[in-house]
Amino acid sequence: MSQVVGINFKKSSIDALVAGFLALILFGPIVGVLLDGYEFDAEFGRVAWMVAVVVVGRFVMSCFFQTEKGVAMSFKYANHDEGAKVLSPGHKSKMVWIIPLVIVVGLLVPFIASKYVLTVVILGLIYVLLGLGLNIVVGLAGLLDLGFVGFYAIGAYGLALGYENLGLGFWSMLPIAAILAAFAGAILGFPVLRMHGDYLAIVTLGFGEIIRLILTNWASFTHGPNGISAPLPTLFGLEFKRRSKDGDTFHEFFNLPYDSAYKYMFIYLVLFAVVWAVLFVKHRLVKMPIGRAWEALREDEIACRSLGLNHVLVKLSAFMLGASTGGLAGVFFATYQGFVNPSSFTFFESALILAIVVLGGMGSTLGVVIAAFCLTVLPEVLREFAEYRVLMFGILMVVMMIWKPRGIVRVTRTGFAARKGVVK
Amino acid sequence: MDIVLQQLVNGLTLGSVYGLIAIGYTMVYGIIGMINFAHGDVYMVSAYITAIAIALLTFFGIESFPIIIIGTLFLTVAVTGAYGWVIERIAYRPLRNSSRLSVLISAIGMSLILQNYVQLSQGANQQGVPTLLTGAIRFTVGDGFVQITYMKLLILFISLLGMGVLTYVIQKTKLGRMCRATQQDRKMASILGIDTDKVISTVFVIGAMMAALAGVLITLDYGAFDFYVGFIIGIKAFTAAVLGGIGSLPGAMLGGLILGLSEALFAGLISSDYKDVFSFSLLVLILIVRPSGLLGKPEVEKV
Amino acid sequence: MSNVIVRKTLISLAIAGAATLAQADVVIGVAGPHTGAYAAFGEQLWKGAEQAAADINANGGINGEMIELVKADDACEPKQAVSVANRLVDSDGALAVVGHFCSSSSIPASRIYEEAGVLMVTPASTSPTLTDQGLSNVYRVCGRDDQQGDVAASYIVDTLGAKRVAIIHDKDTYGKGLADATKATLNAYGVKEVMYEGLTRGEKDFNALITKIRSVDADVVYFGGLHSEAGPLVRQLREQGSKAIFMSGDGIVSDEFVSVAGSPEYVDGVLMTFGADPTSYPAGKTVVQGFRDKGFEPEGYVLYSYTAMQVVAAALSANDLDPVKGAEWLQTNSVDTAMGKKTFDDKGDLTVSDYVMYEWDAKGKYTQVN
Repeated sequence: MSQVVGINFKKSSIDALVAGFLALILFGPIVGVLLDGYEFDAEFGRVAWMVAVVVVGRFVMSCFFQTEKGVAMSFKYANHDEGAKVLSPGHKSKMVWIIPLVIVVGLLVPFIASKYVLTVVILGLIYVLLGLGLNIVVGLAGLLDLGFVGFYAIGAYGLALGYENLGLGFWSMLPIAAILAAFAGAILGFPVLRMHGDYLAIVTLGFGEIIRLILTNWASFTHGPNGISAPLPTLFGLEFKRRSKDGDTFHEFFNLPYDSAYKYMFIYLVLFAVVWAVLFVKHRLVKMPIGRAWEALREDEIACRSLGLNHVLVKLSAFMLGASTGGLAGVFFATYQGFVNPSSFTFFESALILAIVVLGGMGSTLGVVIAAFCLTVLPEVLREFAEYRVLMFGILMVVMMIWKPRGIVRVTRTGFAARKGVVK
Repeated sequence: MDIVLQQLVNGLTLGSVYGLIAIGYTMVYGIIGMINFAHGDVYMVSAYITAIAIALLTFFGIESFPIIIIGTLFLTVAVTGAYGWVIERIAYRPLRNSSRLSVLISAIGMSLILQNYVQLSQGANQQGVPTLLTGAIRFTVGDGFVQITYMKLLILFISLLGMGVLTYVIQKTKLGRMCRATQQDRKMASILGIDTDKVISTVFVIGAMMAALAGVLITLDYGAFDFYVGFIIGIKAFTAAVLGGIGSLPGAMLGGLILGLSEALFAGLISSDYKDVFSFSLLVLILIVRPSGLLGKPEVEKV
Repeated sequence: MSNVIVRKTLISLAIAGAATLAQADVVIGVAGPHTGAYAAFGEQLWKGAEQAAADINANGGINGEMIELVKADDACEPKQAVSVANRLVDSDGALAVVGHFCSSSSIPASRIYEEAGVLMVTPASTSPTLTDQGLSNVYRVCGRDDQQGDVAASYIVDTLGAKRVAIIHDKDTYGKGLADATKATLNAYGVKEVMYEGLTRGEKDFNALITKIRSVDADVVYFGGLHSEAGPLVRQLREQGSKAIFMSGDGIVSDEFVSVAGSPEYVDGVLMTFGADPTSYPAGKTVVQGFRDKGFEPEGYVLYSYTAMQVVAAALSANDLDPVKGAEWLQTNSVDTAMGKKTFDDKGDLTVSDYVMYEWDAKGKYTQVN
C-alpha cells in the first residue's frame, strides 16, 4: 500500500446520510408504527434511535475503510484464499499431544461440571455427531443435503418405537438405528443421486419434511404430535431411575444416594466414546480410496466417471454413511431427552446442522467439532440476552460467514515428498 | 362437480400467489445461483407493511377501497423493494466470491434476523387486517354452487398483471436484457460494460417487489399473519420454483400453479393430512422424470 | 482446545449464576415460549406470573421471603425445554416452576423437575399425558383436553342436536388432543363425525379443506387449535357461503381472534369452551382490575398464570419453602386463587372442571351461554 490514504469526510458523510435515509424507509413502518388490532401506536422514538445508530455506524465504517488498515481489510475480504492448506511432507501434527489431553479433560467433565452444563455439553456432542455425518455428505462428497434431519428423526423414533413395540433397549437400538438410517439413505439416494446440486437440495428437503409429516400424521403408530417416551440407557442391566420395576437401579447397586446427574454422566461417557469412534473411522475413511473418491467426485464428476469410478456407488456410500451417523445421533438425542416428538425435527434443525458444517469449514473435522459446540452452546450463552437471543444468533451467523466464508478451520492435507526417480 | 370446480378455483388462486413468490427465488437463483432462504421472510415483512399501510391510510380518513388498495400496493412494494436491496447489500454482496454454501448459511441467518426483528418490534401476537372487499359471485352448478369472492378475482387479476409486466420487462427492455446477459455469463456481461453488481441488486429488488405483491394480496384475502408466516409459504414457493425449473421465469409461474392445484385437489378430494407429503412426492417424481424441472434447461455437463 | 475454552466459559457462567442465587430469596421459574412462533403465549404467562409475584411480594412475600422470577425460554421445543429445565433447577436454583406452555415441552421438563424435587404448576398444558405420567410434583390449573371435549360434545349433541359434525385439528399436541377428546365423547353419544382431518399450523389458506367441509354437508365444524388458524378458517368458511356452526376450545380465547378473522361479523355465533369467567369471583375481580389499571387486558392464559403462581406460593408458604412437601400438601389442601378455590386430585388435575360454553357476538366479544 504505497499510496497515501486520506479520509474523505465528505464521502463518508454522504454514505452516512444515504444509509440513514434507507434506514428510515426500512425501520419507519415496521419499527415506528406498532400495530394494535386494526389501529396503531406511533413509536417514532425507536425509529429515531435506530436511524441514528445506523448513521453513526455507517459514518465510522466509511471512515475506517478509508484508512490504511481498512483498505487492507477490505482487500483481504475481497480476495479470499482458496483451497486446502498443504502441509510439508515431514509435518508432525500437534494433535498427537492435543488429542490425549482433550480425551482426559473430556472424561473429567461429567465429574466437575454441573448438571446443566453437562446437558449442554451432551447436546453439543450430539450436534458434533450430526455435523460429522452431514460433513461426509456435504463437505466431502459435495452433495447438498437439506433434509438431514430425516435420518436424525429415524434414529430418535427408532429408539422410542423399537422400545415400545419390540421391547428393544438403548444398546440394541444403537446399531439397529444406524442401519435403519443408512437404509433410508439408500432408498432416498438411489432415485435422486442423478440429480444435480440444487435439485438434490430440494428433494432432500422434501424427504426431511415427508418424514416429519408422516411422524405427525400417522398417529396410530407414532403417537403423532403428542410424542412418545424413549428409554434410558442401562449399564449391564442397571437402570438409572430412582426406582425400577424390574431389576436393580444403578444407585442401589452401588449404594449411592440417588442423583439424576448419574444418568447424564453415563449418557455423556457413552456419547463421548461414540464420538471418538466416529472421528476415528472418519479420519481413516478420508485417507482410504473411498474417501479420496468422494472428494474427487465433488471436484470433477465427469473426470471421475471417465476414469471408471462408479459414481452412483460412491455417492450412495457417502449418503449411507452420513445417514447412519445421523441415526446414531438420533438415538442419543431420544435417550437424553427421554421423549421425542415431531417438533424436534423441523427444517430449521437441518439448516442448523448445515450451518455447523459450513461454519466449521467444509470437510474439516476439527472445524465441525468446534462449530457444533459454538452453535449449540451459543444459544445457551446468549440466554442472557433473553428475547434478543435468536436475533443475535442470526446476526452472528451472517457476520461469521462474511468474516470467514470458508469456515473456521481450513482443510489441511499432508503433503507427499516426490519419490526419487519418479518425478523429475 | 361443483366441489371439483370450487377446488380448481381454490387451487388457481393459491397457485398464482405461490407463483409470484417463486419468481423471487427463481430470478435470484438464475442470476447468482443461490437459494435465497430469506425470501419467505421478505414476504412476511411485506405482510406487516400491508397492515401498517392500511392502518395509516384509514387513519388519514381514506375510506374508498380502490384508493386504499392502490396506496397500499404502492407503499408496500416500494418499502419491500428497499428491504430486498439492503438485504442483498449487507448479507450477500460481501460473499459474492465465496462458495454458494456460505451464501446459503448467510441467507438462513438473514431469515432468522428478519423474523426476530419483526417479532421484537411488532410483538409476537397474531395480526390481522380488516376485511375491505366483501361479496362474491355465485354460480349454480347442478345441485351445488361455486362461490368466488371478489377478492379472489382481484388476486388472479393482479398476479397475472404482475407476471405479465415482469415478463415484458425481462423480454423487451434494456434492463431485462442486462439481467439476461448477467444470467448467461456474469463475467462476460461485466466485460461488455454491464454493472453486474447493480443488475444483481435490481434482481433482488424485483424479487422482493413480487413477494410484496403477493404479500398485499394474501394479507388482504386471508387477513391473518404473524412473524412466522414466511417460512411455510417460502418453502412452498421454493418447491414451486424447482418444480417449474429453477432459473426459468415461466417455470416459476407454471410450478406455482401446479403446486397450488395439486394441493387443493389432493386436500379436497383425498386428505388434507397428507397434502404436503403429496406435494413433495410429486416434486420428487417430476424431478426423476425431468431432472431440471418442467421448463428448466437441462444442464450441460462440460469438461 | 476450543472445547476447553467453551467449557470454561460455561462453568464460569454457571458459577456466576450460583452467585446471583445466593442473594435471591425464593426463585421461581416462569417457563414458556418467550421466542419463536408461540412467543405471544409466553408473554401471557410472564405477564400473569409477574403480576402475581408483585402482588405477593407487596403483601410480604412467601413467609417473608421475596419472590424472584426467572424467565426461562423453551421456544416450545422439547430440546430447549430439557436444557432450560436443567438450568432452572441447577444453576438458578428454582424451587418451583410456573409453566411450561406447550404440552410437548411440559412433558419432558416435568421429569427433570420431578427428579430435582421441584414443584411444577402449568397454567396451560392441557394434554392428559402430562398428569397421566404419575409424577408427584406436577399440577395444573387449567383443565384437561378430555374435560373440555366432554363439554363441547354434550353441547353439540344435547343443545344443538347436530348430527353431521366435521372435526378439524391443527396436528399439534393441544389441538389434536382436544379434537380427539371431543371425537371420543361424540362417538360415545352415538354421533359419528362426517369428517376428521388436520390442517397445517402456519398456513393460512384452508379453502380446499373448507370446500370439502361443504361437500360433506356438515352442520357443526369443531376445530381443535389456536386462534391463528381458527380466524382464517372461520372467515374462509363464511366466504365460501357455508352456514355451519363453528365451535372450538380455549385456544381461541383472545381478542386477536377477531382481528385475525378480518371482521367481527365473521366470528358472530362462534362457540367455544373456556373456564368460567374469573370476574365472577370476588378475588378475580380485583386482580382483573389490577391488570386493567395498568392498561393491560388479562386475556387468554394471563389469569391462569397468575393462579398458578398463587398455587405455588400457597404450597411453598405452608411447608417452609419445601417444594416436595408442598407438592404433597396440594393433594389434600385447596388453594384460594383469583379463579376461585382450586382443589387437585391425586394426579394433579383440578377436581372440578369449570369449562362452560361461550358464544362470540357480532361486536367481537364473548359471553357465557346459559
